[in-house]
Amino acid sequence: MSTDMVSQSDSTKTTAHRSKWASFGSSFVSDGYTMYPVILLLVIVGAVVAPRFATATNLVNILEQISVLGLTTIGLTFVVLIGRLDLSLEGVVGFAPMVAAVALVPAAMGGLGLELPGWTGLFVALGIAGLIGWFNGFMVVKVGLNPFISTLGLLVLLRGGVLIISNGRSIYSPGKEFTFLGAEKIAGVPLSVVVFIIVATVVGVIFKYHRYGRALYAIGGNEEAARAAGINVDKVIWSAFVFAALLGGLAGVLMTGRLDSAVTTQGQGIIFSAFAAAVIGGVSLGGGRGTIVGVVSGVLLIGVINNLLTLAQVPSFYVQASTGAVIIIAAILTTLASRRSSGVKTRT
Amino acid sequence: MELSTNNSSRPIVEMRNITKTFGSTRALRGVDFTVMRGEVHALLGRNGAGKSTLVSTMSGFTPADTGTIKVAETKVTANGQCYSASIRKAIGHVQQTPQLFNLLSVAENLFLENPVVRGRFGLVSQERTIKLAKELLSSWNIDIRADALVAELDAGTRQLLEIIKALSRGVPVMILDEPTAALSNAEKRILFEHVRALKSQGVSFIYISHHLDEIFEIADTVTILRDGQVVKAREPVAGLDVESIADLMMGKKTVRSTREDHVKSHMPSLLEAKQIRIDQRATHDINFEVKAGEIVALAGPVGGGKEALAMILAGQQIPASGKVLSPRGGMPTIGLVPTDRHLSGYVGLLGVRENVVVGGLDILSNRFGFIDRNKEAAHVGQLAQQTHVVASSLEQPVSQLSGGNQQKVVFARALCRNPEVIIAMSPTRGVDVGAKEQLYALLRNLAKEGLGVIIVSDEEDEVAQLANRVVIVFEGQVMDELSGDYTIKDLVLRMEGVI
Repeated sequence: MSTDMVSQSDSTKTTAHRSKWASFGSSFVSDGYTMYPVILLLVIVGAVVAPRFATATNLVNILEQISVLGLTTIGLTFVVLIGRLDLSLEGVVGFAPMVAAVALVPAAMGGLGLELPGWTGLFVALGIAGLIGWFNGFMVVKVGLNPFISTLGLLVLLRGGVLIISNGRSIYSPGKEFTFLGAEKIAGVPLSVVVFIIVATVVGVIFKYHRYGRALYAIGGNEEAARAAGINVDKVIWSAFVFAALLGGLAGVLMTGRLDSAVTTQGQGIIFSAFAAAVIGGVSLGGGRGTIVGVVSGVLLIGVINNLLTLAQVPSFYVQASTGAVIIIAAILTTLASRRSSGVKTRT
Repeated sequence: MELSTNNSSRPIVEMRNITKTFGSTRALRGVDFTVMRGEVHALLGRNGAGKSTLVSTMSGFTPADTGTIKVAETKVTANGQCYSASIRKAIGHVQQTPQLFNLLSVAENLFLENPVVRGRFGLVSQERTIKLAKELLSSWNIDIRADALVAELDAGTRQLLEIIKALSRGVPVMILDEPTAALSNAEKRILFEHVRALKSQGVSFIYISHHLDEIFEIADTVTILRDGQVVKAREPVAGLDVESIADLMMGKKTVRSTREDHVKSHMPSLLEAKQIRIDQRATHDINFEVKAGEIVALAGPVGGGKEALAMILAGQQIPASGKVLSPRGGMPTIGLVPTDRHLSGYVGLLGVRENVVVGGLDILSNRFGFIDRNKEAAHVGQLAQQTHVVASSLEQPVSQLSGGNQQKVVFARALCRNPEVIIAMSPTRGVDVGAKEQLYALLRNLAKEGLGVIIVSDEEDEVAQLANRVVIVFEGQVMDELSGDYTIKDLVLRMEGVI
């Protein structure tokens, strides 16, 4: 067994003949860059087909439109990485800012009459979101419910909750201090885009370089192994639900800011786009695989396609159907790419 | 079903030159095996001798690589392809662990896929299932509700149910692989009565058990396997005694490496278990300590509680009472190599580096929780060298490595936190000979460096090659302890539950 005694560095050298392209390809896919060439292609095609597409205003507009979906998808990625899911995020996007809005505005405008100072709005929304996430974690970790059913129930409950607290009416102009995150611009760049970029960067770094991120991947890949390695699995799962909901709440606040109103139907349907974006970005629904680089690509792709179809004046009925078709095609692409790059059977 | 009793000298099972290889392990090396009609034929051998593999190739659960198998009128030439369907009608196989559906009722389990309860259009009659199940259970004189869920039954009853189900099929050949492991004495008596009754009707049994007293009670003939070969074929049980069986089972094995003793009298104790009771049934406390430099083996019959005790020591399972302490106070730092590396050892999707680091996230991260990349690279590199992991790079997914290298990754992960005590369960399961010796050397070196080492193993050789002290765990209690210059024979007899 002398070959077995070869130390790590030696064996790396001996297998260096493995083509550089192959190893570049597999890390290209596993780091989540698969979709970027496709996006680039779409942008070029778009620039040719629709002259208004490649303007700075329009590109910023796309980024602004995707920042809400982006934050929701990043939140969702926390729970999907550990092999769970959270449908209630869609409810959080609508419910958390609505609670803040009714707490801020006077009763005459449909508020609860609390009339809290405007700066508290963000904290009320995030606090509510955090509580919802805590509750989800409790249900999954302590009660042992399947997250599909527990978060589905909560989604429906929150939808109803929005109507109850708002009395079925949207709240308009909940206050500048609450809406600035979604409405203001810095040097022409919407603040919501800045928030999205910061969150994506921070979470991306945490996933890759923080012990918390390592624990997420380990749990998603093999929960029992993570437990045996001494990771506090329950705590990580629980906290992943809290982080997911916090990001959902933040996404809701941005949305309310952009619309300058907390709408009763806010966020409806967003969870489907979030799942689609995650899968397109290479996040495995079985857990353990996926990167923020990929998630951002999934969100970008959906944003670009929606924008292009609108600009090309495709009738709105067709926009929805074609978005669905594109999601399926993109998901097939990502799955094939990841299978090709990592399905190699090698035995040492 | 034709069961001719008048011709008991005619063979019903004839297996010729059976071979079976798992990866690099040759489990069966040209085995001939014959069973006559109406006999109880005991198959003996140590763990890993090939007993379970042999009976699995007989029933087709595990197809043999080569050889011929004749059961009743059916003859099969093995080529590695599945053939169980063709001999299923002639043979029943009760495996070590019951293969029952926990969420179906007793009656449904007994008559699943049985045509007698099926009516027209394949509709299954619930009434008829319950009625037949009640008749069957009362013929065994057993008090189980036919409509109870199998999940409600205790382990012994479940085992018995599995046996009843197999025997009720009316096949001429029955394999019983460790049927009594979970049975109470009363249940054992019931089983033996039925075995005798069916034997007198001409049914043949292949009987595997670790309890030699059962062999002397129920068996007519004995075949002994060792390292995948027959060392004694068709010997009448009357001509054998415990001593000669033990000698035949062990043989003269060439031991590849020998144990070393790094314990000095002044060595501090690293882990103390005080008044542990594994579960509610235990009637005696377990007190246990591990000294620096010591390799302790937990050994004993399957299901005796050695795994549970190890998991308690590792802090992964909560005992019914008692606690595990470090003499410094608090819990000792422990590295765990779990029994089943596929189930709970490694994360296949992740690379070698990430798998190893998962074991020591706390010591490799700074106070904000971010991994120190330099420290990580150095530490993982050093551990990979220490455990001799061979991979194309430290980023290669562990699912792509060979079994031996996967196990080395699991060891590296266990060592990542710089533990005081390492607990290795089945440390070399499914690992080739070369990697095995490397892992043994690793464990000895760890002991030499002053770690406490606890191994849990079913392999007598492994225990004898490593352990300075052997703790025999049986029925949830420490039954015996060997230390110093024990022989492998001392060990075998205790591990098989003979003494």
